[in-house]
Amino acid sequence: MSLLVVATYPVEGGRVLDGAAELTEDGRLTIDGSPLPASQGTYALLAAACRTASFLDAPSPHALIAGDIGRGDGTRAAFKQLVETVSRIRPAVVVFHYMQPIMALMRHALAELAGACPDALLVADAGGMYAAKAAGLAPRFELMTPDIGEIGFLADPKVSHPAYVGHHLLGGADFDPAALAREAHENGGSSRVLLIKGAVDHVVEEGAVTAVIDEPNVPALEAIGGTGDTITGLASAFMAAGLDTVGAAICAARANREAGVLMQATPAMSAADLVDRLPEVLVNHLEHAGNDRSRSRRSRRGESNPGPAHYE
Amino acid sequence: MRLFKRKDKTGETSTDEALGLFLFDEVPDALAAEQALKAAGYQVSLVSPPPELRAGCDLAVVLPRVEQVGAQRVLADSDVHVRDWVDDTERSSAVTDLVTTVDLGDWLMVRAGNMKIVVDKKTTEIVNTSGGGCPDIPYLNLHYVGKRLADAQRPKNVGFTLCGLMLDRAYLEACALLDNGAGS
Repeated sequence: MSLLVVATYPVEGGRVLDGAAELTEDGRLTIDGSPLPASQGTYALLAAACRTASFLDAPSPHALIAGDIGRGDGTRAAFKQLVETVSRIRPAVVVFHYMQPIMALMRHALAELAGACPDALLVADAGGMYAAKAAGLAPRFELMTPDIGEIGFLADPKVSHPAYVGHHLLGGADFDPAALAREAHENGGSSRVLLIKGAVDHVVEEGAVTAVIDEPNVPALEAIGGTGDTITGLASAFMAAGLDTVGAAICAARANREAGVLMQATPAMSAADLVDRLPEVLVNHLEHAGNDRSRSRRSRRGESNPGPAHYE
Repeated sequence: MRLFKRKDKTGETSTDEALGLFLFDEVPDALAAEQALKAAGYQVSLVSPPPELRAGCDLAVVLPRVEQVGAQRVLADSDVHVRDWVDDTERSSAVTDLVTTVDLGDWLMVRAGNMKIVVDKKTTEIVNTSGGGCPDIPYLNLHYVGKRLADAQRPKNVGFTLCGLMLDRAYLEACALLDNGAGS
């Protein structure tokens, strides 16, 4: 079972890196031996996935990434190599992350994946999620991880980028992530499972909320760039290790919050600070997750529908 | 209804891509724009604008609208005169102007759409940026964290995408609230 992350990294003209992601004890990330700058985005996702894979004795995540600072050149380069990489490593989970949201590229990629790796579970966040939703491909994905500024984008079938979302979908007193998730599902703008990241995390399966995670509450995490990316990295690594998607999402949300407590998060800290704390929280967190998963399976089968589970 | 007849039907700017148009007063401007943008790495096409948008020029340059900010800067740097940008050819659609703030004690977080910037209230140092999904956002994060508001260039002059434009709006609001005069 392996995890492939398709994304970009913030270096102008940076070459395509196609190899195993390795995280050193002191938090330096390398792809096939090449160092990656520590920042929000792909670094944060891969670093969290590395820590999780290491804890689970799973293979290191595989990265297919290229330098791109917003012109789309690295995005195109990474997609160009996708089918060759997928055919070689046969990933169980493929994540599309920070990238130029070009719908045509995503359509082509999914067509290629359907032939080369039809059973892979697809995950999308950031630009990968924007492209997939805008192209009408969201239902092909197993998991998407929007934050509260993005769930309205998934719910509105007419917009192609979160920058065009109307005020009523971006927050405020009557903002209702659960209702927006249901709309997104009905409009074809949602993956099978959503993990909506915010002060309260919602795990949604086929339009219905199955879990709500609101503790421990660490408000500073929202201010730290990359702490949403670490959730996506955690969830993807759990899925690649064989956890069911809902369980993986719950584990990820809880682990991120617990790490935020341990790091004594302030708005001036970084995602790397959170990644450092992940090994300390995974043992206790996974013990809880076992119980959480059995509850979510019962819910999915309709057995004594327990309603959304709350986690504190 | 299809508005445009494409010259390059195999390119990435397919008919259902979220497209925008640069409009020009003169054909040579459109041609120069295409050349400048392609030289800068953009994949663009020349198209016939719809009749209601024609004003002295029968050529427009079409590209994914997420790339407008960076492309517009390329055109400005190349001294190409652009008459207008149309960011939704099927219906009216404007970039959201909703900006909100969260007081985090010693820090202020400003959110514009899907982007956030966090600033130390006393020093006006940018301590974090977050949100977004386009590839200039991690680049902007590295560029801005550690800089004071007054020492930073506007994000729309550094970034290239709609996410960068939203960060620009958050930055301007932070300047207005914490460092009157910066960002102007």
